[in-house]
Amino acid sequence: MSEIPFNPIEASNRSLHEDGDEARLAGSTGTSDQLLMERIRSNDQMAMAEVFDRYGGLVYSVALRVLKEPDQAEDVMQDIFFQLWKGTGSYREGRGSLGAWLAVVARNRAIDSLRRKKPTDSVEDVVLPAKTDLASESERNLMIEKVRVVMKGLTPEQQSLVELAFFEGMSHSEIAAKTGDALGTVKTRIRTALMTLRKGVQG
Amino acid sequence: MTQGSHFGSHIPGEDLTLHALQALTAEESAAVQAHVAECELCRAELAAATGDLALVALSAEQQPLPTGARDRFLVRIAEDAKQEEAQPRIAKVIPINRASVGRVSVWAPRVAVAALLIIAAGLSVEIMHLDMRLRRETAVLRSLAEKNAKAQAVVEALTAPSAQRVLLTSIKTPPSPSGRAVYLPSTGALVFQGNNLASLPADKTYELWVIPANGSAPIPAGLFRPDATGNASVVLPDLPKGVPAKAFGVTVEKASGSDTPTAPILLAGAAPAAGE
Repeated sequence: MSEIPFNPIEASNRSLHEDGDEARLAGSTGTSDQLLMERIRSNDQMAMAEVFDRYGGLVYSVALRVLKEPDQAEDVMQDIFFQLWKGTGSYREGRGSLGAWLAVVARNRAIDSLRRKKPTDSVEDVVLPAKTDLASESERNLMIEKVRVVMKGLTPEQQSLVELAFFEGMSHSEIAAKTGDALGTVKTRIRTALMTLRKGVQG
Repeated sequence: MTQGSHFGSHIPGEDLTLHALQALTAEESAAVQAHVAECELCRAELAAATGDLALVALSAEQQPLPTGARDRFLVRIAEDAKQEEAQPRIAKVIPINRASVGRVSVWAPRVAVAALLIIAAGLSVEIMHLDMRLRRETAVLRSLAEKNAKAQAVVEALTAPSAQRVLLTSIKTPPSPSGRAVYLPSTGALVFQGNNLASLPADKTYELWVIPANGSAPIPAGLFRPDATGNASVVLPDLPKGVPAKAFGVTVEKASGSDTPTAPILLAGAAPAAGE
């Protein structure tokens, strides 16, 4: 799939460096993700270590939230970063921020592990929004805090749906069976919850 | 998935969200992907839905990495890098002009075989020359080594303090023939020089004898014929080692030599004790 010129997060909430000037980003957050990825493609182990340091906690936390088993979560994390190192099915610039890509891939791989099945999706299939800069630790923490605030503002029903769909990897039919709601209702509510989250972060 | 949405219009947002969540069946996901590949609007909407999921992921409580996880990863990539370096580099594939291949393909194998045969023949000749050269060099070295050993023995026989030095003279009138023998019993090295020796018929020869000190039979020590001036020499004849001599003698024998001396003894000399 080609690049998606769409950013669900309003400019005011994006990175201060979301203007495409990666060099400026490097000035405040260290080396930019783009430069690090270029170095990784040249087998620069130091660059890979820097990416690991930057996003390892995020990837591990997402995987652990899904799997609830530290060893399994670490396996998922190690495999994701090793894939990044090998460049297989890898992240490509222009498809969004590396941090967001890793967070989604971590969730998907953890769900695959939970279902004890081979990864069905190539990580390349993950369509990312436009840049949502998470390279800066301070901005990443700011974004995390904002998401949590918005998530707490969701109704208990919406929170439950997001939990079941995202972190437990249940299909909408499984959720419908669990909640007793109609399939269409489940789909709409999941969609509504995510739209609320998006708008809440943008706002 | 919502029916009727394939895909004259667009995929409903709910289905795109489910697709992003990997909550659709494989068949439904394939249909979404096929449509999204062609539909910019749905592609953008799917990206937005995926962005929503990234936000949800951020809501996960941040956990510290397990102890040693970083080191394990760094070791893993270091080993991978080492393996990459250890692997032989694969030569870059150079595209070949197919048209050219077609023209030469019939002759190429024959030319290649002919070239190989020529090269092999050339190498065979070269190897043969090198082998012959090696044999020659070996023979020269062997000859030099033998000559060197002989010279060493001559020098040793002439200079050794233990050598027996005997002057042999004619019993009768001058110019009397004479001979000088230098003998080193321990090595069996003997050098004899004769002077004023009469010439002999063709069927005759002079023969030198070593008379052992232990009284055993005389040992033939070489045949020799004098030159025009009556001089002759015997150098390092084949003699047993460790046989001290009591005397030396020269006889005239048939041309092929003899195992025992034939009287009369033309030259004779008693050997002093070793070292005398």
